[in-house]
Amino acid sequence: MSGEVMTRTAALPGQTEAEEDVTPEPQGTMSMRYMVIARIMLVAAMFGAWEFAPVSRGIKFWLSSPSAILSTLWGWMVDGSLWAHLGATLSVMVTGYVLGCAVGISLGLLFGFLPRVYRVLVPFIAAFYALPKIALAPLFIILLGIGMSSKVALVAITVFFLLLNSTIDGVRDVDRDLVQSLRLMGATRIEVLRKVLLPSALPWIFTGARISVRYAFTATLLAELIAANRGLGFLIEFNSGNFNATGSYAAIVVLVAFSVTLTEILTRVQAMTAMHRN
Amino acid sequence: MRMENNVQDKIAAAASTDQAATVADKINLEGASKTFHMRGQVIRALQAIDLSVRREEFVALVGPSGCGKSTILNLVAGLLPPSAGTVLYDGRPVRDLNRRVGYMTQKDTLLPWRRAADNIRVALELRCRPTSHSEADEKVARMMELVGLKGFENHYPSELSGGMRKRTLLARTLIYEPETLLMDEPFGALDAQLKLIMLDQLQALTQQRRITVLFVTHDLGEAITLADRVVVFSARPGRIRAIRNIDLPRPRDVFRIRFTDVFARYHEELWDVLKDEVTKGTDI
Ligand SMILES: Nc1ncnc2c1ncn2[C@@H]1O[C@H](COP(=O)(O)OP(=O)(O)OP(=O)(O)O)[C@@H](O)[C@H]1O
Ligand SMILES: [Mg+2]
Repeated sequence: MSGEVMTRTAALPGQTEAEEDVTPEPQGTMSMRYMVIARIMLVAAMFGAWEFAPVSRGIKFWLSSPSAILSTLWGWMVDGSLWAHLGATLSVMVTGYVLGCAVGISLGLLFGFLPRVYRVLVPFIAAFYALPKIALAPLFIILLGIGMSSKVALVAITVFFLLLNSTIDGVRDVDRDLVQSLRLMGATRIEVLRKVLLPSALPWIFTGARISVRYAFTATLLAELIAANRGLGFLIEFNSGNFNATGSYAAIVVLVAFSVTLTEILTRVQAMTAMHRN
Repeated sequence: MRMENNVQDKIAAAASTDQAATVADKINLEGASKTFHMRGQVIRALQAIDLSVRREEFVALVGPSGCGKSTILNLVAGLLPPSAGTVLYDGRPVRDLNRRVGYMTQKDTLLPWRRAADNIRVALELRCRPTSHSEADEKVARMMELVGLKGFENHYPSELSGGMRKRTLLARTLIYEPETLLMDEPFGALDAQLKLIMLDQLQALTQQRRITVLFVTHDLGEAITLADRVVVFSARPGRIRAIRNIDLPRPRDVFRIRFTDVFARYHEELWDVLKDEVTKGTDI
């Protein structure tokens, strides 16, 4: 998991992860309808087998059943604990993400602006970049406690390095001739930054921002699994810690719903920007 | 043939005698040369050159591909330092970027994320050139009309043809009225008809605004049509083979001057020098 966190984002703008590149094949409405029916039947069969599997009570405890999971979920919704956990996870993730993006992009642009400073700092940045950020989680807990701030710090630092690097990549990719032509016209360094460096780096920044949403999610969850008293990660950890299989399954169902929604939103946003760019 | 060469050498010699930097000179290259070091390889792009351009003069540089014409413009713009010798602008050495010149580069340097009109406008958005919004709009509209791009305001560079991009670049360079224009094959991608129209516009503009021009072209006819002086370069590493004054009265009729006898004589004379160099050129 941590190996994934340190993967470098060499992705070019327009180049997307394969899983997001899946465009629906042109299908007739008839075959589309059959597919939906087939899927529903598959799910129904699976849940049916799960629900009515002729197994002993002992195994049933570990296997749980869809109806038990649903009623647990319903209970969480009614007593409001589900929304509290969801809210906790979301607020850690969003705060850390926004913080990491803001600082990463700003510093990336600054380094583009002061290439000499950047050259001095390169080895240090590279060393930190290579470090799996999750290893810092215990340290953050010592420094910042087990509350929200240590988790936000972990998410922010993960996102920060991703955005720093994609911004720097973007700035370095800028056509030097465009910079020179603007400078010859009398542009100041700030004007060159605003009119050439930033617009030229924007696709890279955007790619970095999109990719790091997933990393932010993973980092949030890991931080909550390690030490927390709230959040989706805590929900899984707590239930399995209490040997509550039904509770663990229910928490995972919530997690799946959450990731699917996130992916869906990202795909929509990406489609919108792609349309905008053409 | 032999006699002609003799004459040309005399012309070149005569031209190089008045090289002393006088106040009237806008640009002076004094023994300026350029050598590139690339992957352990030494490329002599330009031999020591002496050349001066007077204020409001139109000087055309012609020569085989790779002989260092663009390099000369880069030296004058301060984008490159000379390997030896000096480059003076207004009598002072060019150190950093030379902000007094407008440079229309050989390479397309339009901003790809800006529409044509916004590309042309960019110079007017800079702090050093405070321009009101309506004034900028008006100037941009006038420039678009001048270069014949009316109706293409909202096209991105990738949606324009090569010639249209060149014209957008020209408009972008002209809009802020620089006192000196460096132009590197500005009309190479245009068809003959449009090229003549653009030459006509350029002549009118530079005359009216009293602009000094250093103009690189591989089209000898274009050089003679516009220039006060034509400088012919040798093959790489470039050195001046001949400098010829073009004593044709202004304003010149860009569309007809090509059919006059005087023009033909200039053309023949300069072509004799140029064709030797072009066939010698190793880059083609
Ligand atoms: N940045 C550079 N690094 C290395 N070599 C260079 C560089 N710029 C130019 N040269 C070399 O210098 C020589 C002169 O180049 P230059 O661009 O001035 O030629 P040119 O006369 O403008 O040619 P063309 O008519 O084809 O544009 C060429 O042989 C080129 O290979
Ligand atoms: Mg050139």
